[in-house]
Amino acid sequence: MQKSFIIKRIIYAIFIFFVVLTLNFFIPRLGVDDPAERYYPPQGNMSDIEYEIIKQVTREQYGFDVSTFKQYTNYVEGLLRFDLGTSFRTGNPKVSTLIAERLPWTLVLSVSNLVISLCIGLIFGTVAAWKRGRWQDSLLLNLSTISVALPAFFIALILSFYFGFELELFPAYTNPNMVSQFDWSWEAIKVVFFNAALPIISMSIGGIIGYSQRTRNSVIAVTNEDFVLTARAKGLSQNKVLFKHTLRNAMLPIVTAVGMSLSGLIGGAVIIEQIFNWNGMGTLFLEANNTNDYPLMMGIMLFMSTIAILANLIVELTYSLLDPRITVGEKR
Amino acid sequence: MSDVLLGLKNLKVIFPAQQGIVRAVEGIDIDILKGECVALVGESGCGKSVTSLAIMRLLNTPPALIEVESINLGGDEITKYSENKMQDVRGKQISMIFQDAMTALNPVMTVGKQIDEVFIKHNKLSKKEARIETIKALRLVGIPEPESRAKAFPHQLSGGLRQRVLIAMAFACMPKLIIADEPTTALDVTIQAQVLEVLRNMQKSHNVSLLLITHDLSVVAHTADTVYVMYSGKIVEKAKVEDLFREPHHPYTEGLLGSIPRLSDTTKHFVQIPDSVPHPMFKPTGCYFHPRCKYATDICKEKMPPLVRLDNGREIRCYHPINFSGGENNE
Repeated sequence: MQKSFIIKRIIYAIFIFFVVLTLNFFIPRLGVDDPAERYYPPQGNMSDIEYEIIKQVTREQYGFDVSTFKQYTNYVEGLLRFDLGTSFRTGNPKVSTLIAERLPWTLVLSVSNLVISLCIGLIFGTVAAWKRGRWQDSLLLNLSTISVALPAFFIALILSFYFGFELELFPAYTNPNMVSQFDWSWEAIKVVFFNAALPIISMSIGGIIGYSQRTRNSVIAVTNEDFVLTARAKGLSQNKVLFKHTLRNAMLPIVTAVGMSLSGLIGGAVIIEQIFNWNGMGTLFLEANNTNDYPLMMGIMLFMSTIAILANLIVELTYSLLDPRITVGEKR
Repeated sequence: MSDVLLGLKNLKVIFPAQQGIVRAVEGIDIDILKGECVALVGESGCGKSVTSLAIMRLLNTPPALIEVESINLGGDEITKYSENKMQDVRGKQISMIFQDAMTALNPVMTVGKQIDEVFIKHNKLSKKEARIETIKALRLVGIPEPESRAKAFPHQLSGGLRQRVLIAMAFACMPKLIIADEPTTALDVTIQAQVLEVLRNMQKSHNVSLLLITHDLSVVAHTADTVYVMYSGKIVEKAKVEDLFREPHHPYTEGLLGSIPRLSDTTKHFVQIPDSVPHPMFKPTGCYFHPRCKYATDICKEKMPPLVRLDNGREIRCYHPINFSGGENNE
């Protein structure tokens, strides 16, 4: 791989970062006349002039007193000092502190979801490809048809109803003390496991079926390749042919898909988190949106886009390691 | 008949399709002697490759339906072998060279590793020992700097080298029989000659039998001892290579030989057999070749001619053989 290629990709990533940051700044402000409106105290028996002064003070307090462009340059200036800004919430907590508080809880859901979806999906997809046309394969086909019509939140509602309220196997709502009382003790981990079970299951059903379908198609495509016939003609056992020749080649598109999904890990699942009252990034973002908390919204979006940009960069740069045929940045 | 290495008797392969049945191979017999090079010649779609895959028992069933009286390899009936036992035969006793070395090699595995696998499987060698053997095998087929080439991926080698890698892989365990399915078709002419030379030398020096599947008669002329000519799933003629080229008996063989362009020919246009191979689902009645045959008479349209064995070991399936001194064969 050429050095100039790596540098080019990094410069490109930085450029994208600034585009995203600009969009992040302006999009929430489109269509809102006075963003500070909801922070004005009630007028009460103040005269209009007094109230105007109060409003002005409030605007100054939240940084809305200067022109939008000045706000933008202030924001960029802060970012260059690695300062995501201060939330409008009472107590003015740092945006970075709020994100750091919520991120681990979102990762509990999203990482488990990815690991479960991928592992089960790979196994199920490979089996379906291996038993092509038999019941295992048609089961997968039917399940994927059904899963298209079953969004994750619907599954979440059903699970929450039956396993949460009716059977009481798992908590239907997240225990509100889970976060505050977490101390890495065995008991606390068990509580997290029980509370996370239903959200993770409802998120991963779609993922399992998606990865299974992808794996199945990829494996079938590779099975028809000539080199699989060569491997069989060498006298290799079916397992060797499957694992050393078929699967290694079939994995390439799956790895790309996983790389692309990495940025989704930190975004959180807004609806699932709402249903189970799980305090993750999705809920944080929703709160920020409902309160016109611009610094917090921009902070979360910027954080997510940065991870997306980094994930793409890593996938691009490491792809040649997985597939020796690909030589990035070199003309052959 | 103790010097027969592979005796294939009455092989039939059928592929059920939605609109009907494709009879790819309709009862063919092939005998391959020890150390002999047998060529199976025919146009695309006549069932050559299916025959080779059926011998290796590599056809997927379903969809294929295979019916065979006997596949005898050096005295053992391999049709009765289990899949496990068959895996010990493949690569060890019969191995295969495929047409397109680019797609026949795994793109994400070094060529050395792919040959190592054969030694690890059949000679029970460790990875290190296997690599030593692999380098020897690569050197045998004339690959320069085999130590570094073994670490190369298929796309880093030229077409000729890739084909040599496949040959090295096929000869790795010095099997009794090698089936080469159009080994030179994907190569350009100069490399073809080199690769054929390597194949021929390896075959002669290690006394391995070779079943060469091709549509290229110049390859046949240079390499084969015995030739089977196949047409639409049936053997139409079998002869020693010199006999076949000197005096072909079947009109189809005559047509094939006639369509080789010659420098001495001044007419400047290609001679060809009129029309094309019948669709395998809608074969004509009688002799399959009769719609394209200039000697065809009424009997050819009605009855499939039997395969007749002549005194000199030649076999022919035709009512009106040409270049034939013994008079017409009316059975």
